[in-house]
Amino acid sequence: MSLFRILINQLEEEDEEMATSKKVITREGWEKKLNAVKLRKEDMNTLVMNFLVTEGYVEAAEKFQRESGTKPEIDLATITDRMAVKKAVQNGNVEDAIEKVNDLNPEILDTNPELFFHLQQQRLIELIRQGRTEEALEFAQEELAPRGEENQAFLAELEKTVALLVFEDASNCPVKELLDISHRLKTASEVNAAILTSQSHEKDPKLPSLLKMLVWAQNQLDEKAVYPHINDLSTGKLEDPAE
Amino acid sequence: MNSLPSTANSDNGRHENGETSTGDARDRDLMLNFLGKVRLSATTRGDAKEEDEGEESPTELNTINSAGGFLIVSPDKLSVKYTNTNLHGHDVGVVQANKPAPFKCLTYYFEIFVKDAGSKGQVAIGFTKESFKMRRQPGWEVNSCGYHGDDGHLYRGKGTGEAFGPTFTKGDTVGGGINYASQEFFFTKNGALVGKIPKDIKGDLFPTVAVHSQNEEVSVNFGRNKFAFDVKGYEASERNKQQIAIEKISIPPNIGYGLVKTYLLHYGYEETLNAFDLATKTTVPPIHIAQEDAIDEDDSSYDLHHRKTLRELVRTGEISAALEALRTLYPQIVQDDRSVVCFLLHCQRFIELVRDGKLEKAVKYGRLELAKFVGLTGFQDIVEDCFALLVYENPEESSVGYFLKDSQRELVADAVNAAILSTNPNNNNVQRSCHLHSHLEKLLRQLTVCCLERRSLNGDQGETFRLHRVLSNNSTRR
Repeated sequence: MSLFRILINQLEEEDEEMATSKKVITREGWEKKLNAVKLRKEDMNTLVMNFLVTEGYVEAAEKFQRESGTKPEIDLATITDRMAVKKAVQNGNVEDAIEKVNDLNPEILDTNPELFFHLQQQRLIELIRQGRTEEALEFAQEELAPRGEENQAFLAELEKTVALLVFEDASNCPVKELLDISHRLKTASEVNAAILTSQSHEKDPKLPSLLKMLVWAQNQLDEKAVYPHINDLSTGKLEDPAE
Repeated sequence: MNSLPSTANSDNGRHENGETSTGDARDRDLMLNFLGKVRLSATTRGDAKEEDEGEESPTELNTINSAGGFLIVSPDKLSVKYTNTNLHGHDVGVVQANKPAPFKCLTYYFEIFVKDAGSKGQVAIGFTKESFKMRRQPGWEVNSCGYHGDDGHLYRGKGTGEAFGPTFTKGDTVGGGINYASQEFFFTKNGALVGKIPKDIKGDLFPTVAVHSQNEEVSVNFGRNKFAFDVKGYEASERNKQQIAIEKISIPPNIGYGLVKTYLLHYGYEETLNAFDLATKTTVPPIHIAQEDAIDEDDSSYDLHHRKTLRELVRTGEISAALEALRTLYPQIVQDDRSVVCFLLHCQRFIELVRDGKLEKAVKYGRLELAKFVGLTGFQDIVEDCFALLVYENPEESSVGYFLKDSQRELVADAVNAAILSTNPNNNNVQRSCHLHSHLEKLLRQLTVCCLERRSLNGDQGETFRLHRVLSNNSTRR
């Protein structure tokens, strides 16, 4: 037998050992375990409420509080304010948004220079979008340039933004993505996160994290056991273990 | 899918004793779950007193099972000194803690302080099994592991060690720990992590100290005094590592929206659902919920409006009206007066009467509707607990106060909801299991079982997974 063959045989044996050392759990046994889990309805309701609140669905959160008796973790009125700020940025009314944030809590912008810069940058982008070139330049020089002097990264961002003015037709511009709607959404979600943080609330809902945790937990368990998986997170359908 | 139940499917109604088909039996099993839930709310007071709390930890050294003759344990049982002159390798003075390291936690950790390195400085720290030979250094024998001061080597199951960390001697504080999540031992010196090795020993492990030359003296800290090493910080960073690994996993975008939607559909939160639908369509950008097909497949919108109406009646305590509505809309659900749903509704009616202070009326109602469940396994204890409400002047503050909480109404409303879902004539047997669990719940159950199973394959070591803890952990990290 060639050395190569021997090696292959050894590898195969090891493979078999690996396979047999895993605990095999049948569908029936697994379902029994699933049904034995003590899951509290309140906890699920809390999870759903957390999603509605964090994503800013204030009417849905109000209804859910009424229909399920679940208390929201923060004052629902603050969601309305937060969503108003978010919407203002999404619609390009950055000045309005800044005012609203300061009404809500002036510390938010004071303590987040990066966020404040991004909002000002967005305001500059909106001015350029509207073709108000003179105003845009004035704004850039007076409001943004001093901040750029304090921070190299801000300066680079500012230069990139002003480059939008180089082309009469912005669609030819290499930095045209700044004019894209997605940039507004990015700024909007940044300010949304900052407001949540200022309210001692997590900026992301817990539900997606738990779903990731499920994928992770299944991966971890795969090393030690063969059992029915859930591969389709949207339906939670239990699939038989692969042979 | 809002059709009224046809007359044909009222044949599906359960019969008191003869479960005619497996489907009926299964429905009954599903409904019996709700009785379990009643008991669950009786026992879960903030999760605190579940099994892994109150695990015992080592507090002092074991003076009985130690290598007598070579060493002396101090009266406070927290330090040990080698008093003999060692002649050969079998004269090690080993002492274990009085109890094994607790394991239903993320880590276990203890420290030693070398007061005197004696003539040779052969101090060692490690973990051993209860049956360990007390005259051998930890790590020399199988099922043990030790970090040795004279060479800085780590020994695990063999007479020869492997290069591991610095040596340690008089004046040094050295720590030994177990990380149950990663299944590793770790050691520290003077507050800094030295290294870690895989833990391949199963079962109880005792913190162990060894001294092996004249005048070697070591004191042990089982946590009574502040550790030199920042264990809490270590635990936090281990948790963080895991969290980062989890956050890296990618899942389909916006998948949460579909799950929330099916959840609202499943439980009949119709108004919330409408508000949510409207909002997701009008946000910028609109959220496209891709699971429309999946929703239809399960038929979770079945009789949504009826389910919403009944939920509202139960939630506002209008139990008589709820029963009346069920008699009209779903006679098959209430035709068996001893079914789980009827039982829960009668209990709730009783509870509502107590809430309103109509005790006499409650007693009458209880005799009429609840007495028949006495003697039935699975029902009697709940009946008794209900009646116990009458004993207290302030039943809210009593041990059965959970009956008066909002969550009890919600539970009964859920049971009614599940019973209505089970009347859906479009359900085949495979889909029957969908009645009880929403998609979200299925995922959470799978998550819990995966975590528990993994833990059980690790010899039940490490923290247990509790959804409640994950949810209440409202950190502002990140």
